[in-house]
Amino acid sequence: MIKIIGAICIIIATSWIGFEASKALSERTRQLRILRSALQSLEAEIMYGHAPLHEASRRIAKQISRPVSEIFDYFAMNLIKADTTASDAWNKALEVVWKRTAFKTTELEILKQFGETLGKHDLMQQQKQIRLALTHLEREEDEAREKQASYGKMFRNLGFLIGLFIIILLM
Amino acid sequence: MGIDVDVIFKIAGVGIIVAFLVTILDQAGKKEYSQWVVLIGFIYILFQVATIVNDLFQKIKSVFYFNG
Repeated sequence: MIKIIGAICIIIATSWIGFEASKALSERTRQLRILRSALQSLEAEIMYGHAPLHEASRRIAKQISRPVSEIFDYFAMNLIKADTTASDAWNKALEVVWKRTAFKTTELEILKQFGETLGKHDLMQQQKQIRLALTHLEREEDEAREKQASYGKMFRNLGFLIGLFIIILLM
Repeated sequence: MGIDVDVIFKIAGVGIIVAFLVTILDQAGKKEYSQWVVLIGFIYILFQVATIVNDLFQKIKSVFYFNG
């Protein structure tokens, strides 16, 4: 009886690990998509709404969902609160929020490079910089989706089967 | 007799699971890991079979030499 309970525990644990691993992959594609739409709306706010940076990012933070919206939230807060440059405020917001997202270091680098250009140029230059960051992010998203398609299912099956394997070895 | 049947089932189970793992890893394009999985499963079963065959030889010795 105890043997069976232990076996069920092992199966549940390893399957859970597999599901978590595949969820991390799909979470990354989702957050990249959200980030791209956020940057697009930032572009729209700046180009057509002529909104100042903190107002635009506060509005965007309200529109999008949790982990990505916090970047814009902190960014707006840093801009209002302290007397810093826009790129400093952006970098600080990234440092705080980055660990809570599913992004990897490549996205962090893209966003940091984008932050360097924030608030330094006129409208047309700023739009070009946003477009550049968007193309980089699009490439990352394609890559992440490819990875998700090939590895997502593998991790789930692998977790379950390794659990079965351990049980048979221990029986 | 009960132990023998158990061992056969165990070996069959390991074989099936190793086969599944290999196909999944191959599909995902991780050939190098699938080779390792095959190797580990093979070594494990080899140990099992070796201990059983060892038992068998000991028994044969004790039957035919009359001194064990």
